[in-house]
Amino acid sequence: MPFLHNIRTVARYEAKTLRRSWFFRLFSIGALTIFTFMNIGMFSPIGDESWIMVSISSTIPLVNLYLLNIGQAIIVIFLAADFLKRDKKLDTNEVLYTRSMSNFEYLTGKTIGILRLFLGLDIIILSIALIINIISKVMTVDILAYLWYLLIICVPTIVFSLGLAFMLMSVIRNQAVTFLILLGFAALDIFWLWYRAGFIFDYMAFGLPVFKSGIIGFDNPGFILNQRFLFLFLGLALVFATVLLFKRLPQSKLHTGISVVLLVVFTAGAVICGYNTFSSWKNNIDERNLVVEINRKFENTPFPRMTDASLDIRHSGYNLEASAHLKFINDNDEKLMHYVFSLNPGLVVSDVSSNGGALNFTQTNHIVEIDPVKPLESGETDSVIVSYSGSIKETFCYPDHTENYNESPYRIEMLNVNKRQAFLSDSYVLLTPETYWYPFAGLNYYPSNPARIKVDFTKFSLRVKTEPGLSVVSQGKKRSGDGYDYFTADSPVTGLTLAIGNYLSDTVRTDSVSYITHYFPGNDYYKKDLSEIRDTLPLLISGIMRELETNFSTTYPFGTLSLLEVPVQFYSYPRMSTQTRAELQPSMVLVPERLSTLQNAGFRKRFTRQKRNMIRNNQVITDKELQVRLFNDFIRNTFISGTNFRFVNGMPVNEPTRYRLGPSFYFFKNNFYSTEYPVINATFESHLQKVSALQPGFIGISGGLPDNDKANLILRNGSFRDILAKNPGGDTIRIIVTVKGDYLFNLLRSKAGIEEFNVWFRKYIDDHKFTSVDIRKLNDDINKEFGFEFYPYLSNWFNRKEQPGFLFTDIQANEIVVGDRLRYLVSFVASNPEPVAGIFNVSFRTGGPSAGGRQMTIDFIQGGGGGGGRSISISSQGRGMDASDISKIVVMEPGEAKRIKRILDSEPRTVMINTIFARNLPGEITIPITEIKKSKNKTAEDEDEEKLDGLPEIFNRGDLIVDNEDQGFNAGSMQPPSPLKKLLRVKARTYDEYENINMFWAPEIWQKAIQSSYYGKYILSSAYTRKGAGDRSVTWSVKLYEPGYYDIYCYIGKSGDRVVVRTGISGGAAPPPPPGPGETGNSGDSPFRDMHYKIYHDEGIDEIMIDFENAEAGWNSLGRYYLSDDTAKVELTNQSAGRIVLGDAIRWVKAN
Amino acid sequence: MKIEIQGLNKIYPNGNHALKDINLEFGHGMFGLLGPNGAGKPSLMKIIVTLMKPTSGAVYIDGKDIQKHRKELRKMLGYLPQDFRFFTSLKTWEFLDYSGSLAGLRNRKERIAEVDRLLDQVGLLEVRDRQANRLSGGMKRRLGIAQALIGYPRLIVVDEPTTGLDPDERIRFRNILSQLSRNDVTIILSTHIVGDISSTCQGMALLNRGELVFNGAPENLIKHAEGHVFKLNLTPYEYENVKETYNIISTIPVDTGWEVQIVADERPDFNTSDIIPNIEHAYVYYMEHKMHADISE
Repeated sequence: MPFLHNIRTVARYEAKTLRRSWFFRLFSIGALTIFTFMNIGMFSPIGDESWIMVSISSTIPLVNLYLLNIGQAIIVIFLAADFLKRDKKLDTNEVLYTRSMSNFEYLTGKTIGILRLFLGLDIIILSIALIINIISKVMTVDILAYLWYLLIICVPTIVFSLGLAFMLMSVIRNQAVTFLILLGFAALDIFWLWYRAGFIFDYMAFGLPVFKSGIIGFDNPGFILNQRFLFLFLGLALVFATVLLFKRLPQSKLHTGISVVLLVVFTAGAVICGYNTFSSWKNNIDERNLVVEINRKFENTPFPRMTDASLDIRHSGYNLEASAHLKFINDNDEKLMHYVFSLNPGLVVSDVSSNGGALNFTQTNHIVEIDPVKPLESGETDSVIVSYSGSIKETFCYPDHTENYNESPYRIEMLNVNKRQAFLSDSYVLLTPETYWYPFAGLNYYPSNPARIKVDFTKFSLRVKTEPGLSVVSQGKKRSGDGYDYFTADSPVTGLTLAIGNYLSDTVRTDSVSYITHYFPGNDYYKKDLSEIRDTLPLLISGIMRELETNFSTTYPFGTLSLLEVPVQFYSYPRMSTQTRAELQPSMVLVPERLSTLQNAGFRKRFTRQKRNMIRNNQVITDKELQVRLFNDFIRNTFISGTNFRFVNGMPVNEPTRYRLGPSFYFFKNNFYSTEYPVINATFESHLQKVSALQPGFIGISGGLPDNDKANLILRNGSFRDILAKNPGGDTIRIIVTVKGDYLFNLLRSKAGIEEFNVWFRKYIDDHKFTSVDIRKLNDDINKEFGFEFYPYLSNWFNRKEQPGFLFTDIQANEIVVGDRLRYLVSFVASNPEPVAGIFNVSFRTGGPSAGGRQMTIDFIQGGGGGGGRSISISSQGRGMDASDISKIVVMEPGEAKRIKRILDSEPRTVMINTIFARNLPGEITIPITEIKKSKNKTAEDEDEEKLDGLPEIFNRGDLIVDNEDQGFNAGSMQPPSPLKKLLRVKARTYDEYENINMFWAPEIWQKAIQSSYYGKYILSSAYTRKGAGDRSVTWSVKLYEPGYYDIYCYIGKSGDRVVVRTGISGGAAPPPPPGPGETGNSGDSPFRDMHYKIYHDEGIDEIMIDFENAEAGWNSLGRYYLSDDTAKVELTNQSAGRIVLGDAIRWVKAN
Repeated sequence: MKIEIQGLNKIYPNGNHALKDINLEFGHGMFGLLGPNGAGKPSLMKIIVTLMKPTSGAVYIDGKDIQKHRKELRKMLGYLPQDFRFFTSLKTWEFLDYSGSLAGLRNRKERIAEVDRLLDQVGLLEVRDRQANRLSGGMKRRLGIAQALIGYPRLIVVDEPTTGLDPDERIRFRNILSQLSRNDVTIILSTHIVGDISSTCQGMALLNRGELVFNGAPENLIKHAEGHVFKLNLTPYEYENVKETYNIISTIPVDTGWEVQIVADERPDFNTSDIIPNIEHAYVYYMEHKMHADISE
C-alpha cells in the first residue's frame, strides 16, 4: 500500500536524520553511559544493590524508564520543535513536498520516526538493565514489567510531547517561544503540577504511582491506563490537528477526512480518559467528605460495645458475601434506642435479624442503624445477625486524609507507590479492620474530636470459603474442613484481619508463642540468606521477645505472632486517635512483599559487605555469627526501635512507626476510656509505647525542632481542649498528645513514687488486659493504692493553657564519700516564677565504668576540642511503662525555688532536664558539668530537695542585657516573595518562629534558633543567618540610666559539652547528629568564623571582630566605650568568612 | 501530455501581484521559461508543482486541474527548485533513495539500482556515500537534477538547473533533458541562461513583471532580432559614445580599440557589420526594444 509505504519511508528517514543529529547523539551517549553506570552501581552485584531497589524486580525497569523519560521528554521537545523549523529552513525539503504523499502520511511518518528512535534508545537502555537484572543474584526477572513500563511511561510521554511541540510550532511558528512554553510545562509538571488534581497534568508520569507489585502486579491498572491514554490520545489528537494545519497543500481528501475523524476520536478519547482520571480523584474526595459528614451526624450517638463476633465469609471474585453474628452490651449510662454500626460503604446490608426475627434497618452510606425489638437498657446484652455483600471502598478507610502525594508521599526511593488500604480480587484479598469489612459499633473518625477512638475487645470467630487453591490467613487458631477455613481467636482483639492468597506458611514455636510467617512462593529468600541460623532461630526469637518485654515492661499478650506478607502497595495513614498504624494488627504484622521497604532485609548484600569489612580489619567471625547479627539487626530495627522518619516539604516528620511491636504491649491489650476526656487513651498509648521523637541528626540537618518543643509552642496558644477543638493536623495532635501523656504519667509518678507506681501499674494493666477500663475506675484504684486522686488534675491538664516556666542555676558537682564508696553529688537550683505549678524530670549522663542505675542508655563518642553546645534529643526521657531512664521527677509549685540534689555512682558529665510541658525552649535542657570539686571533708549530703526562700537572682543588678528575645533587639523583616512565586502560588519557605539551627542551609533572614547553650530566660535562643556581604544586620539597643564608660559584652552560646550521643534504643537507624555551633570535631568545617560587631559610641562606630571558634563560651568583651544615654547600640552584620553568623545577647556593664 | 495555464493570477498577502493573467499552453518536450528577476517565474513554477495555490486561474494537465488532482500530478512530477543547498544529515545516495521511495519506487533493490544509475548519470557515483551537505555547489546541483529525474517523472520542472555547473556538466545535463523530452516527458525549464533554452527547448515563454510577453518557439523570438544585432569595431573614443547610446551585449578588446556587439533598431554609423542573432541577442533585443516599443504603443 502506498499509504504505508510513504509512512514507512518518512519514518525511516526522519529517524535516520534525527539519529545523526548531534543533539540526539549527545543525549544517547550520555544516557547510555549514565544508565549503564547507574544500573551497575545500583543493581549489579558489584554495585550497591540497595535492598529497597532490588527486592522487587519491577523496580529496575521502572527506575530506568522513570529517569530516562524525564530527560527524554525534554529532548523530544527540542527535536520535535526543530523538525518544523528544519522543514522551513531546508530548501531541499521542497522537493519532498512535491512528492506524492499526503500530509497525513508525512506527519504520521515523522511522528513514528521520532517515536521509533526514542523507543529504540529506551529498548537499548532496558536491555542493559535486563542484562544486569539477569546476572543479579538477588533479583528475579519480570520481563512483562519492561514491556509495560515502556508502554505506559514512555510512549504517551513522547507522543504527547511530539504532538504538543508540532502543534505549537504550527500555530506559533516561533521555535524559541515554543521551547519556552514546552520547557515551562515540563518544569511545571516536575515541580508543581505532578500530583495536582489526581495527576491529570502529569504527562511524564513523574508522580503517577505505577509501581508494580511482584504479588498482584499493577493494583490500579484502570487508573493508570486512563491517565496514560489521556496523554496518548491528546498527543495523537495534536498530531492530527497539526496535519490539518500543516503548511503544505493537501493532496488527499480521504486522508484529510481521516485526520479530522482521528482528531475528533482522539480528542474524545482524551476527554473521556481525562474525565475518568479527574472524576476518580474528585470522587475520592467526595466520598471521603461524605464519610466525614455522615460521621458528624452520628458522632454523639451512643454505641454498644461488641463482645463477640462470629463472621461467615464467602469470597467470590471481586465480591464478598457475609453474615455477621454480633453480640454486644450496652455499657452506656443511657438506653440504646437504635443499634448503630459502621460498615464499609461498598458492602450492602441485605438482612438483619435477631433471635430468628427480622429487624428493621437503614443503611446510610456506611452507617447501619438497626431498630431493636425494644430499647437496650444500660448493662443489657443483645445480638443481631447482619447479612451483607459487595466490595470494599477504600476511600472510607481514612476520611481525614487525601491521596495528595505531595503531603503524604509513599515512595520506594524516588518512585511513587500507589497507596492501597484493601485488596479484594479473585486471586488476592487483604482486609484489615480499618476497612470495616465487618460491622463495628463505632465510627472510624470523629470529626469534632479526631483524637477520640472507640476500642472494643471482641472475641472473634471466623468461617471463610474462598476460591480453590487459595489459602486463608487470619488471627486465631485455624482449622479446615467442609471446604471452609475456621479461625477461633484465643483472646479478644481490637480488630480482625483477613487475607486470602497463594500463601505459604512457616511456623517456629518457642516460649509458648507461635511465630508464623505467611509468604508468597519464592519470597522466602531469607531462608537461604540466613540458612546458618535455622537451628538457633527459636533461641534468637526468644531472646528478642524477652528484650521487647523488658523494653515495654510487660509480657506479650498473644499466643501467636504472624508476619503476613502483603503487596507493597498496602499503605496506612497515620491516625490522630492512635499511634498504631494498620500495618500492626493484634498478633499480626503486615510486612511489605519481600520486605522491600526495609533496608536491613537485604541480608545477602549486608552479609557480603560486613564479611569483607571484617576480613579487611582482621576480625574473625563465623558465617553463623554474622547471620545472627544481621537477623538481630533486622528484627530490632524493624520491630523494636521502628524509627520511621519521612521528609515532608523538606522537613523531617516522625511518623508513628509502622512495624514496631509497641501496640502489642499496650494498644492491643489495654484501653482506658473517658467520656469526659476521650483523648485519654491516645495519651496513655503515646507515653506507654514510648513513641520516639525526632533524632538529633535529623534536627540538625533540617533545622526542625524536636516534637516536644513544637508541642509546647502550640500549647502556648490554647489549652489541650482548645487545640483539639480546632481539629488540627495529625502531626499536631500526635505531638501534643505525646507531651500531655508524658506530663500525666510524670505527675502520677511524682505523686506515687517512680518505682512504686511502675510496679503497681505494670500489674494493673496485666490484670485488666483485653478489657476497657473507665479512667474514673483507674482513679479510684490509684486512690486506694497511693492515697491520691488524679482525676481532678485532669481538668487543668485538659482545660488550662498556662504553662509553668523553669529556671536552672548554680549547678554544682562534688565528689563525696558515702559509706566507703566515692560518689558524686550534683545539685542545682530550680525555680518556677510562673503562677502555675509544673513538673520536670532529671536525668544524668555519666562517664566511667561504673555508670549505671538510672542513667540513660547511651553510648559515648569522644569529640574533638573547642566549644560544643548542641541540643541533644532526649525527647523520650521519662517516657514508657517504667520510665527507667529518669533519675528524679520534681514538682514545682507557683513561685517556688528549690535546690535539687542527687547522688550518683559515677562521674557526672551532663544534667539533662526535660521540662515536659512548660514555657521553656528548648524543653530538653542539657547542662554540661564542667567542674567537679573534690570534697575533702568526705561528708555525705542527703539526696533531697531543699526548698529555698524566694526566687534566686539570675541577673546581676545594674547590668543591662538585651537578648534577641527582648524588645531592644531588631532583626528587620522578611523579603516579600517574588512575583513569579506569587503567580504560581508557590509559597516562599516559611520559617517557624523557632527552629533548630540548620548547619547546612542557613536562612537568608535572621532566624531564631533555640539551643541549651544560648542565652535567655525561658527561651534559650539566638538569631542566625547565612553569611553575606554585610548588607543585613541585627541591632541591640538599650536606654542607659546615665552616661559614662561601659564595658560591652556579647554572648557566645557554646558549652563545654563535646559528647555525641546515640540513643541505645534507636538501633542506629538515625544518622549521627551534626556538629553544634562551635563544634570543632573538624574545625576546618565549622560554619562559624568571624563575627563583626559594630559598637556605636560617643566617638563614632568601632568595628570589633570576634573569632567565634576561639571565643570563650559565655560573655566575651567587645571593649570599653564612653556612651551617652542615647548611643547604646550594638550591631552585628552578616559579614563573615564562615557560613553562618549568629547573634545572641549584648550586655552593658557600667565601669566603676 | 498537454499543459494549459488559464488566467493564472497570484497576488501575495503583501499585495505583490506576481502573476498577471497568464495563459499558456504547451505539450510534451521541453518548454523554457525566460524572464528577468521579479518576472514571476518561481511563482509560476511553485503553482505548477503544487507548492502554492494561485489566487485565480488554473493549471490543467491533460485537462485536469492540478489543484484538484494534486495526487496524480505529484505522482508524475520531478522538481528541482532554484535553491537547493541545505540537506538534512543524509548521504548522497540516501537523499536520492528517500526521493525515489516517495516517488513510488517501492522495490528496494530496483530503487537502489536506479539511484546508482542516476548518480552515475550525473557523475556523483564516486561520492554516493558522502554526506549531501558536504558536496560542492555543483555536486549539489547535480544531485538536485538526479532527484528530479528519479521515479521516471512525466513532468519535470527545473528552476535554474545549470547554475553552478561547469560547461561540460551543462552540456551533459542538456543532453539528459533532451533525451527525456523525446520520451513523452514534459520538461519546464526556467532559466536565465538563455543558451540553455535555444539548444533544448521546442517552446518557450517570456515573462516580465508577472506578465507573459512572449510565447512561442525560440526561433520566433530570434526572428524578432534579425537585422538588429551588429558588430562594431570602435576606437576608445567611439566606444565611449556607443556605450552611452546602445545596449552593448559583448565587448572584446582588440589592437585598434574594442570589438563590440550591440542590439539596436537601426544600424549605427560606425564601422559596423551585421551578425546573425542568437537567442541571447533576441532576449536582449526583445526585453530592451520590443517590449519598450509595445509599452509605448
